[in-house]
Amino acid sequence: MNYFKHRKSKGYRFPSQQITETLSKLPNIPINLGLNQNIQILKSAYTDCSDVVFREFTIGARTKAALIYIDGLSNTQEIDQQVLMPLVQLESFDPETSIENVSKKLAVSDVLVINTITDVIKQISIGNPVILINNKIKGISIGLPKWEKRGIEDPVAESVIRGPREGFVETLRVNTSLLRRKIRHPALKMKQMTIGKFTETQVIIAYIEGIASNTLIKEVTNRLERIEIDGILESGYIEEMIEDDPFSPFPQVLSTERPDVAASSLLEGRVVILIDGTPFTLIAPCTFASLLQAPEDYYNRFLISTFIRWLRYLFFFIALLAPSAYVAILTYHQEMVPSSLLLTIAQSREQIPFPALIEAFIMEITFEALREAGIRLPKQVGAAVSIVGALVIGQAATTAGLVSSAMVMVVAITGVASFLLPRYAAGISIRMLRFPIMILSGILGLLGVMLGIIAIVVHLCTIRSFGVPYLNSMAPLKIHNLKDVLIRAPWWAMNTRPESTSIELGNLQRQPHDQKPGPSKGGD
Amino acid sequence: MMGFFRRRKKKYISLVLLLCLIILLLAGCWDRTEVNDLAIILATGVDQSKKEEIELSVQVFIPKPAESGQQEGVSSGNNSSQTLVRSAKGVTIADAMSRLQEKLTRRIFWGQNEVLIIGEKLAEKGIGDHIDFWMGHTEPRERADVFVSMDSAKEVLESMPELERDSAKQLRKLVDSQIGVKVTVKSLSEMLTGDAGAAVIPWVAKMSPSNLAVNKGKNIPFIKGAAVLRGDKMVGRLSDKETRGILWPRNEAKSGIITISLKDEKAFVSLNLLRSHNQLIPKISNGNWSIKVKTDADLEVIQNTTSLNLLNLKSSKKLKRMVVQVIEERERLALSKAQKKMNADIFGFAAAFQRDYPGTWKKKKNEWSEIFRKVDVTFETKVNIRRTGLSNEKAKKGGRER
Repeated sequence: MNYFKHRKSKGYRFPSQQITETLSKLPNIPINLGLNQNIQILKSAYTDCSDVVFREFTIGARTKAALIYIDGLSNTQEIDQQVLMPLVQLESFDPETSIENVSKKLAVSDVLVINTITDVIKQISIGNPVILINNKIKGISIGLPKWEKRGIEDPVAESVIRGPREGFVETLRVNTSLLRRKIRHPALKMKQMTIGKFTETQVIIAYIEGIASNTLIKEVTNRLERIEIDGILESGYIEEMIEDDPFSPFPQVLSTERPDVAASSLLEGRVVILIDGTPFTLIAPCTFASLLQAPEDYYNRFLISTFIRWLRYLFFFIALLAPSAYVAILTYHQEMVPSSLLLTIAQSREQIPFPALIEAFIMEITFEALREAGIRLPKQVGAAVSIVGALVIGQAATTAGLVSSAMVMVVAITGVASFLLPRYAAGISIRMLRFPIMILSGILGLLGVMLGIIAIVVHLCTIRSFGVPYLNSMAPLKIHNLKDVLIRAPWWAMNTRPESTSIELGNLQRQPHDQKPGPSKGGD
Repeated sequence: MMGFFRRRKKKYISLVLLLCLIILLLAGCWDRTEVNDLAIILATGVDQSKKEEIELSVQVFIPKPAESGQQEGVSSGNNSSQTLVRSAKGVTIADAMSRLQEKLTRRIFWGQNEVLIIGEKLAEKGIGDHIDFWMGHTEPRERADVFVSMDSAKEVLESMPELERDSAKQLRKLVDSQIGVKVTVKSLSEMLTGDAGAAVIPWVAKMSPSNLAVNKGKNIPFIKGAAVLRGDKMVGRLSDKETRGILWPRNEAKSGIITISLKDEKAFVSLNLLRSHNQLIPKISNGNWSIKVKTDADLEVIQNTTSLNLLNLKSSKKLKRMVVQVIEERERLALSKAQKKMNADIFGFAAAFQRDYPGTWKKKKNEWSEIFRKVDVTFETKVNIRRTGLSNEKAKKGGRER
């Protein structure tokens, strides 16, 4: 950090800064009267841009005009039929006709009158062709963008058995439409802004007016506005720029590619940030409890969901502590192991040359490497890797005398446990924290494990996500809010929203009480 | 410039904090032991050696890795090399242990020691000093089971049971079945230091193995009655039957089968004990110390070879009376031996008197061994027969006529 500051103060300029400065001179230039001059300016801005098309034509045989668009971003077929055809075929054109009246002649739903050269560039870059007419100080931008997009698919990282199978895509408009189809009420607001000097990425802040607290909306907007970056390629860029504690291993902004998850967060009074170019949307604020809530919890019946949620809590601890507890007990507290088990472990460990800690490290690191390799490798190689991986952390490792069979078991259960966390980001942070706790357990035994847990809990207590305590509803304890933490309350009892996000408005009530179903009593 | 200093200071503080953390970690590792470096002791035996010395024998587990897992089922019969027994002599157990350590490559680990066997000779000489090691050392389990063996304890450790992995497991499983007394180091030490000053410890005898041709000379330990200690010295033995008798007043009779023979018929009724509760009710009047052993037991009939129809109220009452008789007879048998012969209060009478008459007890505490002899014991036994089973009288009669 300091290093860069020093360089800057000495007057050093990054090359990118120089370019942006030449571009930043443009906004002052309004559209000139002379068409040629305008085109000259634009052409100089788009030097060496082979994909920009300047199509000059005449309206009513006399008035010169130009159509400017980026090839591949606009629907040329529609432009030909709905824009060029009517204009070119005009027999007479009064040069005094205002640009607004010209735009009314166009059979296109989305038409915008623009005033400056920067606006022209902006419109072209998002795929809207622009028409400039000689002797006019305004231009027309035509909303006919079209580019290749991916179809809506089942989200791969967050698949469910029961629940909608649609996921967000890379196109912002499709994503907003997916949200709007779930929440039709006009209270769903979508504020748009642009971030990134070069990418000019469109970012939308979505929230439900009247549920989300105003301070939260303001805070999210502020933090987004503060960002000065040259490009946003994925929501991860923004996530890191708006976090509360950048050094925390825990994610403080949720990300999802499921419209139903985003919609349910909106209904709980959270803010959803949609970013063009990525299927992953951000949800703020995020609490620790929400990392352990899977979308399917809310679609299955509540008894099953509660059971699965508890299973998840149990395996959360296994994922975090199993190897360290094994190491601690086996190197410091052998008397804690049931006799028969200790004898079996002693048998299997007899020919292992490494201490338990090293053994655990070998296996855990191998497992992490295999997991990473499994994701990165092309599909054709993937099968081979999984076979080799099974051998490496399986029977072969035991027979080779590198690790004991008990350790294989521990690593395997830990590996499975970490994938029980529905949020991939949370799973990663747990897997990462496992290693320092393992070292502590190797040095101090169970005492070290406890120290590690205490450190994590203290850390969790200190961090906040957009003003909401990370352990909200557990610490500070809000018994009422535990209805969606300890259990998953049935929908007829989920009568209030989480307090953290919507308390300010006093708008906690989600639905009326007394909706518990049952057979109708008496009567016909 | 100020900012620079502040930054230096901040750096300095974080460095100190980091050092503090590292210092914390430096305290670790001192007692780290891998399982590979442990001699896991499964059972311990203490014998009287010549002169004033004792002999400490330990059964150490040999962690031989399983043979590639394929022929485990076949080789499990031959478990002769799963454990080894080593012994060393010394004036105290701790002394013997240090000598023993010289003979073992791995550190002696008491944490899994679940069985302590005391040789008869040592038991007769007194065990109080040796039990102290088990209570004082941090590693041994206080919940280890204690036994007194007929032969030397070492011999018991060396024996090879057929069904279980080793003799330690064999003995432990036997006492867990709740048919005899179960005494742990902790309860033994409580019994010895308590006011009664007496204890019972399961008695280990040996039986010959089932397959003599293969396992010749290998004896199998089993439990046969109990040894009775007064003070910390063994004063006598109770047979199996007498041991059962002392379980009732001690409120330890929780399971078992009682078989009753009818006088007028050569046939038997066997009853299974479901639940029992015993209470000692002490009473001191005019200097006469007496105690009432109150027993409340639930039983079920599991076999009936007699002509008695148990659904009949009359015969059921008769059976109840006889069960009461049998239980009281057993109690009397044990009592007479312990009270009159050995003068060892193994029933917890002392504690009962102390609870109900704390004042008198304080004064008479020192005369207890005299008083105990004269305590008048009465019995009040209540028996419920919960289930009589299906009465198949006719089938039996038919069978007999044929």
